[in-house]
Amino acid sequence: MIIAIISGKGGVGKTTATANIGLGIALNQRKCVVVDFDIGQRNLDMILGLENRVVYDMVQVMDGEASLKQALIKSKANENLYFLAASQTKDKSVLDSNKIKKLVDDLSEEFEFVLLDAPAGIESGYEHTIEFADTAIVIVNPEVSSIRDSDRAIGILDSKSQKVKDGGEVDKYLVINRIIPEMVESGDMLSSEDILEILNIKLLGKVAEDKGVIEASNQGTPIILDSKSMAGAAYFRIASRLCGNNIPIQEPTTTRGLVGKIKGIFS
Amino acid sequence: MNFPWNKKQKSASIAKDRLRIAIMTDKENENYPFMEDLKRDIIEVVKKYIEVRDIDIKKEADGEFEALSIDVQVKEK
Repeated sequence: MIIAIISGKGGVGKTTATANIGLGIALNQRKCVVVDFDIGQRNLDMILGLENRVVYDMVQVMDGEASLKQALIKSKANENLYFLAASQTKDKSVLDSNKIKKLVDDLSEEFEFVLLDAPAGIESGYEHTIEFADTAIVIVNPEVSSIRDSDRAIGILDSKSQKVKDGGEVDKYLVINRIIPEMVESGDMLSSEDILEILNIKLLGKVAEDKGVIEASNQGTPIILDSKSMAGAAYFRIASRLCGNNIPIQEPTTTRGLVGKIKGIFS
Repeated sequence: MNFPWNKKQKSASIAKDRLRIAIMTDKENENYPFMEDLKRDIIEVVKKYIEVRDIDIKKEADGEFEALSIDVQVKEK
């Protein structure tokens, strides 16, 4: 399965989601590779804690300067997960359809899941990343600009992907990230139902805002490895759903006590 | 909860209304999916007669009517 992880604007947690979903798939005993397509803005290596191991990047592989074997980096956390870095020096204009197709085809021969961390939908390079994906996961925040831009990114996906051009359809799933349950309860944050109604795609998971995500990226150990984290557990459920397990969607809940809950009712 | 003393509209419902309208407007302004192909075809045809410098196709909406405006710039002699 070739999955593009996309978003409308940047900064919604797309790279964090890619790292955690990829690791979650690997934790489900399935072979997975995550590829950083955000050329010029390499970040996935930091989130995975693999920045010191990068020797060759995906542009060098596409240009035949390095073999896949040389460029693939094995995750420290799980042997089923591999990583392919973005180029830091080149810009997004180096992306070429034929070369991308070959790279993606080669990767899907070796890996059951190929995850592509796409540039934001409003940036160049986005169209190329989604071109050969058969599935897309849209990461959105419950916030107006993120939702509006996601709708545009989905529109581009529906017109530019090869699968659509061939008369097929790209499977699209939504992950709502950075939900603050207290705000949703008090009516000051868009609910998941509202967002689904506006974007009209299938829900794959809900992830609550979690301070642990920053601590996790500080250390280069994805939050899914933290057994106490709510966000980590949410990412594990998302990955398990992708692996075909039927796990019901869980609503992020507030952690406040009884007094807070009573206050909440009357607010 | 909606009590009579809570008359102020909650911001999430304002967001939902605004988003609906914004996305609808975005869609109206969007290009047709075949725009790039159409552009290429027009260039092919016009090129037989005169050299083309640039071509600009716009979808314009005015109420119920939609119009396609095609602007072909030809090379100066």
